[in-house]
Amino acid sequence: MDKLLEVKNLKLYYHTVAGAVRALDDVSFDLKKGETLGLVGESGCGKTTTGVALLKMPSPPGRIEEGSQIILDGRDIMTLSEKEIRKNVRWEEVSMVFQGAMNCLTPVYTIGKQMLETLQEHRDMDRKQAVDLITEYLGLVGLPPEVMGRYPHEMSGGMKQRIVIATALFLKPKLVILDEPTTALDVIVQAQIINLLKKLKKTFDLSFIFITHDLSLEAEVSDRICVMYAGKIAELGTNGQIYGAQGPMHPYTEKLLQATPLLRKKVDSLSYIPGTPPDLIDPPKGCRFHPRCHKVMDKCSREEPPLLEIEPGHMVACWRCGK
Amino acid sequence: MSMKDFTYRLGEFWADFRKETSGLIGLGILALCVVVVLAEPLFLPYSDVNGNWRNISYWEDNPQAAPPAWTNLFAKEKSATTSRYKSPVVTDEDDPEFGAVRVYTFKYGYKFDKAPLDIILRAKGTGMLFMNISIERPDGESVFLGQVYQDGLDGDPIRFAVETDARSAVYEFIRNFASDEAISNSDSSNVKPTDIIFSKAGENMLSAREPLKGEYLVRIKIPASILEDGTNTIEDLRLLVTGRVSGVLGTDTAKRDLYSGIIAGLKWALFIGLVTSVISVLVGVMYGIICAYFGGLTDTLMSFVFEVFVSMPMLPILIVLSAIFKPSIWIIIGSMIVFYWVGPVKTVRSMALQIKEETYIEAAKALGSGKWRIIFKHMAPLLLPYSFANMALSVPGAIVAESSLSLLGLGDPSIITWGQILHDAQLSGATLNGLWWWIVPPGLFIALMGMTFAFLGFAMDKILHPKLRTR
Amino acid sequence: MSIDKNDVILEIKDLKKHFAPHQSLAQTLTGKNRKVVKAVDGISFAIRRGEIFGLIGESGSGKTTTGKLVMKLIDPTSGTIEFNGEDVTKTDKERTKAYRRQVQMIFQDPYASMNPRFKIKDVLEEPLIIHKIPGGHVEHEEMIVKALTEVKLNPPEEFMGRYPHMLSGGQRQRVATARTLILNPLMLVADEPVSMIDLSTRAEILHMMKDVQRDLGLTYLYITHDLSTARYFTDRIAVMYLGRIVEMGDADDVIDHPLHPYTKALIDAVPEPETGKVDVIKELPISGEIPSPANIPPGCRFHTRCPYAKPECSAEAEPELIDVGNGHYQACRRYKEI
Repeated sequence: MDKLLEVKNLKLYYHTVAGAVRALDDVSFDLKKGETLGLVGESGCGKTTTGVALLKMPSPPGRIEEGSQIILDGRDIMTLSEKEIRKNVRWEEVSMVFQGAMNCLTPVYTIGKQMLETLQEHRDMDRKQAVDLITEYLGLVGLPPEVMGRYPHEMSGGMKQRIVIATALFLKPKLVILDEPTTALDVIVQAQIINLLKKLKKTFDLSFIFITHDLSLEAEVSDRICVMYAGKIAELGTNGQIYGAQGPMHPYTEKLLQATPLLRKKVDSLSYIPGTPPDLIDPPKGCRFHPRCHKVMDKCSREEPPLLEIEPGHMVACWRCGK
Repeated sequence: MSMKDFTYRLGEFWADFRKETSGLIGLGILALCVVVVLAEPLFLPYSDVNGNWRNISYWEDNPQAAPPAWTNLFAKEKSATTSRYKSPVVTDEDDPEFGAVRVYTFKYGYKFDKAPLDIILRAKGTGMLFMNISIERPDGESVFLGQVYQDGLDGDPIRFAVETDARSAVYEFIRNFASDEAISNSDSSNVKPTDIIFSKAGENMLSAREPLKGEYLVRIKIPASILEDGTNTIEDLRLLVTGRVSGVLGTDTAKRDLYSGIIAGLKWALFIGLVTSVISVLVGVMYGIICAYFGGLTDTLMSFVFEVFVSMPMLPILIVLSAIFKPSIWIIIGSMIVFYWVGPVKTVRSMALQIKEETYIEAAKALGSGKWRIIFKHMAPLLLPYSFANMALSVPGAIVAESSLSLLGLGDPSIITWGQILHDAQLSGATLNGLWWWIVPPGLFIALMGMTFAFLGFAMDKILHPKLRTR
Repeated sequence: MSIDKNDVILEIKDLKKHFAPHQSLAQTLTGKNRKVVKAVDGISFAIRRGEIFGLIGESGSGKTTTGKLVMKLIDPTSGTIEFNGEDVTKTDKERTKAYRRQVQMIFQDPYASMNPRFKIKDVLEEPLIIHKIPGGHVEHEEMIVKALTEVKLNPPEEFMGRYPHMLSGGQRQRVATARTLILNPLMLVADEPVSMIDLSTRAEILHMMKDVQRDLGLTYLYITHDLSTARYFTDRIAVMYLGRIVEMGDADDVIDHPLHPYTKALIDAVPEPETGKVDVIKELPISGEIPSPANIPPGCRFHTRCPYAKPECSAEAEPELIDVGNGHYQACRRYKEI
């Protein structure tokens, strides 16, 4: 499979009065065509920031630092101007479903009007063509054309999320970044949306970056999982490597999995990770996870562990997991 | 909230407020106003103005409808300003007419183009007094002004004004120079005695006057025999040369010093504005909170009452009220509150509706907290900052409303307000007669007061409002 | 397994809460009525002393309304809530206040449940002031320290002077728990207490709550949409759908052997951290979304989405919650066939 996306040494710092918040610090990963990559971690670990960085639109005072590379389809978009990005990359090649986007639909316009506006902003087409296209996409996400005449408050959360997904697919992007697309939804609706996403991925031959805090959900959707902690990648492996019998290698992933309550099995005692994620202005020396780690060694507080490939396709940043 | 928290929040507020230029300007002007009000006697040239605004005799020494003194700076022909003299030079002389006399001499340096309006002599006398009053001009001519004879005095005031008491004597003086023909040709009633006194002597001194600049001596002669035995005394002899321009802001047709009036009106403007806005905003804020918190029928009924008050036109009703009741400042403030409390209700109600839905209000209820504790402990403190801004913003309205009432002649006659000054100006047709100094300053001060509080209010609103969204 | 009457701390009987939409004065006077929202529509259950009872449901199921009814934050339309054998729905002010001392609530968003202008000390002192707990500032402070120690916020003195926004999510939920404990209640209503807390520390809060429950012999009414934490945390659960309980029983029993088609669908939809499901489109027995509680389908209210629905499900009266043995209740007339 070809590589669709290659991220190398991505650094995104928020320059605040108190100092630079290192929200993303040297993050590298790649994504193959037709693949779903999951980004998981606690809040503030940099998952959403990664998604935003891929669109090259960090929210101020954030800045993507020198030396970062985002190679999309063989072209480094870091070298492109804002105008080119807007014209050729953002929404055209990479689109994003933002967290809570379904609650950001304008309450005073009908769904149809809002979708038309988005479409006509990017594509030169008359009303008839646009309406036809919208109808087609609404059908794809399982909604009847009538919803075009409705207002957001007349629709359920699941329907609104379908609208948002349809809007993200309009321009036939190659990569869709989904940031917590099911967080506010009920479990049955969540399963419906996940099924829908899987179908759409096949239909359009899409690649997904699926951002969530829910390890269980990630297991159902992502081919490969990237576990992030404090702006860095802790572990990156295939679905089987993370969720399989052998289990994850990084103590953070291990604990996170043990902290996930299971429905179908009776668990006597769930684990938890003591403490809170570190301050990213002044992160702990050495491994950023060492103050909360149950397998901590002397070395962990002194030296930062590199992200090493310990078996084919399985990268771990932990001194315990060296060869 | 402890004292420490309060000072901390105040400090925080100040840090934000300092960045608001308009707010600082407002605060500066307000501070200045407070200083003026506190140290009012220092700023008042007529210290008894507060009790005597409507006492005509208090102002009788002032020129009538005189423009401000500083207008001389822009005028080609300089008008005489008002001068006051105390403690004359006392000499004993031999007079060909009265024999031995005691002479009281005032020196007046005249250096203007337009003569003063009047020369007024005041004194207090006891027993019997006789005075001969004359003026010696720089050209050596002497003008006899008149004689005063009074008996049975007991420390009573004596007043001699050239304008009224020396008219005929001064015309006699003209006759020495001008021909009968010239006198009969000119309309002598239009010529002020002072115009003659301060003009160069000659044939044309009635029709084409030229000012005679130099040192004038006002001499009051009292025969020594009268003062000899000590029963007849004269005290506190003063001379007042009434200028054509007067004071900082001129005078009105009732000779009142407008600057004193405006300074004295400042405290009332502040008082009326602040009392009305503070009370009405507090009432309105509580009303809004209660509406929102209780909801249901209470809200429906209270909102209805609110709408009734909102839709009533304030001014007509205030006019009727003032006409029914004896106009008093308290009635005016009271009736303004009746209309002004509605101001913050709508906004406060909607904000309180939001706060009411906050989980911590529900949590307080779940803990067993009563209604009033929730209202006063959880809701009111959040809305208080907003109400401060609202208070500042409704001050101008109250000041203007009082002015409007006063302008219509429905003000409290026992106090001085800017609106009343405007009312008097309007009655006297100040606009038609070009007495701009009577209209512009009070109007400007009303506007300035409004602007000050509006600036303060906007700045406070900007800083305190987002705090509602602290979550 | 029937419940011994003496064991029951809270018993709810045929509780209903119908919300009438807000009407203007004109609408009230003309008697025009808009559609009533039947948020809770006739539920009955009993909670035993010292147990953790879970109330499960999607949004719009009425679980949060039930919690508020139990807290007496809103008044029921009909039905009774018996606490220790006394009906608390129609009590006077004094009795209500006494009830509130015994039943406390933990909210979903601990931050939102505290006045942002209060320090932790003030937050915790509020219940003491409200209930006029004797003692001055010093005695109150001792109680506050004790409550903070109870929820393992150490050292307590360090937290008392802080504002809620200076704490982490977990710490805030501990403070919220401490606030409920300070009055020595008998029962806590916890509405999604951990849904806003990061997964990594969620278990820590659950453990803390369980420890407190064990130490102080508390009873919990745990309200959640999350079946997984419910299984982990609760003893018994009741599953709600559109204002009714459709299934109730021992937590493990209900989740391992669901009887009602809705419970089955709910369980099927929950993802698990297991590999090998990426390319699988999950079979979902039910489609669509929960209908509006203002427009409840006739008959069995689940029939519009039920894969097993027969004409009688919509035509006949709403099925009652029936005991199928072992303290397991369910409300589907065809549960034996499916």
